[in-house]
Amino acid sequence: MTHVPEGPAESRLEQISRIVIDASSRVPVLLWFTSSVIWLLFGSLAAMISSLKLHHPDFLGGIEWLTFGRIRPVHLDIVFFGWSCMAAIGALLWLQARLCHVRLPWPVLLSGLAMVWNVGVVVGSVAVLAGHGSSIEYLEFPAYCAPFFAIPALGVLAANVKMYLTKSSEHTYVSQWYLLAATVWLPILYVTAMLCTYFGLVQGVSQAITNWWFGHNALGLWVTPIAVATAYYLIPKVTGRPVHSYHLSLLGFWTLAIFYNWAGTHHLTGGPLPAWTITVGVVGSMMMFIPVITVAINHHMTMRGVFSMLKTSPTLRFTVFGSFMYTVASFQGSLEALRSHQEITHFTQYTIGHAHLGLYGFFSMIMFGAMYYIFPRITNNEWSSARLIKVHFWGSALGILSYGIGLCWAGWWQGTMMNNPSIPFLQIVEYIKPYLILRSISGAGMTIAHLAFALSVWRILSRHHFVMSGPTLFTTQRPPWREFVNEQNQREEIAQ
Amino acid sequence: MFLISMIIWATALLGAVMTVWALSWAVKRGEFRNPRQGAASIFDAEEPIGRQTDFFPSIRPGARS
Repeated sequence: MTHVPEGPAESRLEQISRIVIDASSRVPVLLWFTSSVIWLLFGSLAAMISSLKLHHPDFLGGIEWLTFGRIRPVHLDIVFFGWSCMAAIGALLWLQARLCHVRLPWPVLLSGLAMVWNVGVVVGSVAVLAGHGSSIEYLEFPAYCAPFFAIPALGVLAANVKMYLTKSSEHTYVSQWYLLAATVWLPILYVTAMLCTYFGLVQGVSQAITNWWFGHNALGLWVTPIAVATAYYLIPKVTGRPVHSYHLSLLGFWTLAIFYNWAGTHHLTGGPLPAWTITVGVVGSMMMFIPVITVAINHHMTMRGVFSMLKTSPTLRFTVFGSFMYTVASFQGSLEALRSHQEITHFTQYTIGHAHLGLYGFFSMIMFGAMYYIFPRITNNEWSSARLIKVHFWGSALGILSYGIGLCWAGWWQGTMMNNPSIPFLQIVEYIKPYLILRSISGAGMTIAHLAFALSVWRILSRHHFVMSGPTLFTTQRPPWREFVNEQNQREEIAQ
Repeated sequence: MFLISMIIWATALLGAVMTVWALSWAVKRGEFRNPRQGAASIFDAEEPIGRQTDFFPSIRPGARS
């Protein structure tokens, strides 16, 4: 028997419309998301091998494919291209369809592009493991991998623009600004960086500038906007409270768009660059306080008075944690750009700690939150176990906190000691060794969390615990959505 | 090489022009005129303001903490 949602006609139409939109994004979003979860596991494995090698250099030392110089870039590239980008694109497609109130266009094409992207990550990772990677951070994959990412990025951009141009919602919600901008920025960043670095357009110092212009902006103008957009949707949506200050949210977007692009050269402070290029990076980094503070105020004030909801909502727990870490990592990053700060922290474990606080503590946690919200709605199924979700949360949260705090602490003192010529280098190495072991333990915690998450995903996909009317699907039972799609089609035909 | 340089500079210029155009377009369209309505645009009758929409599997929607 089919259970049709009851209630006022307007409410019912809105629910049907939402279900139909979710159904339209089902296959492509599931492909982007499940691929990202699989890459997260491979990325974790590469991370553990890399980390163990730092305090046990002989570990797997006889296998040239797994030497530190290869496995560490593979970790970075799998986590960036495999996990981060694929999770971000999945969230982007679902979110934009919902906010535009339109069905996701070209589902077959977008599914195909996910497979193309996967091929790119496989080919690139094997190439780097085989020793064919470049030494350009974030662009280690050989040049022949570029089409595997550039073409899908253009396809995602086209789908995003099409949704926006055909939207049936009147207003452009703040998240949509971020999503549109991110999809415009990515192809420009990636294609420009690849052309410059691999076709000899820039060399030497200029190549390093291009490298960090891309590396920094790939985080700040691609994955960051998508995570902030997701948080701007999920926190109000889950709590049932509109954003505290919509003005601030718009100010945050436009200041990010204007200032972030300038910050990349702070990665090269102390390097043989013209001083003004570094000063531009420092100024850009300082200006980033504006968008970060707007987001921090907005998310905190939206949550004020309802923090108890963190106990009852997995989505909110991950997303609010990620938003808090956005503030922490961004403040830290801006201060880190200062020359006086860099004198101590450059070339130390501090930078590694900061990078993980940003990409994991902020971005990945928000993506986990998004997946906990989206998976039930596109699979029409409930998560199987609250315990698994809690293992995931605490493993990830405690893991990244101990990782970030441990490495930043160790890095600071490592830098202070390195600036003192009377301290032997070996003594500094001995000093940071316990912190490197802590890094591996923290990484193990996060890996366990990822396994718990992957198990949850496997169960929800395999319908191991099939419940159509669970709490995350609200209070109404949802019938097979094919009936809703047919009903919506008939309504649209009549309207035409 | 020259062609690639020109393409990159043209793209950068296009990006800057597009950003300024998008901002002025949004202002003219009134996107920033009614922030209260904008903030509430993600809610509707089925998922209204004031209703929590996500729970752990073990928690019943009615049981707010």
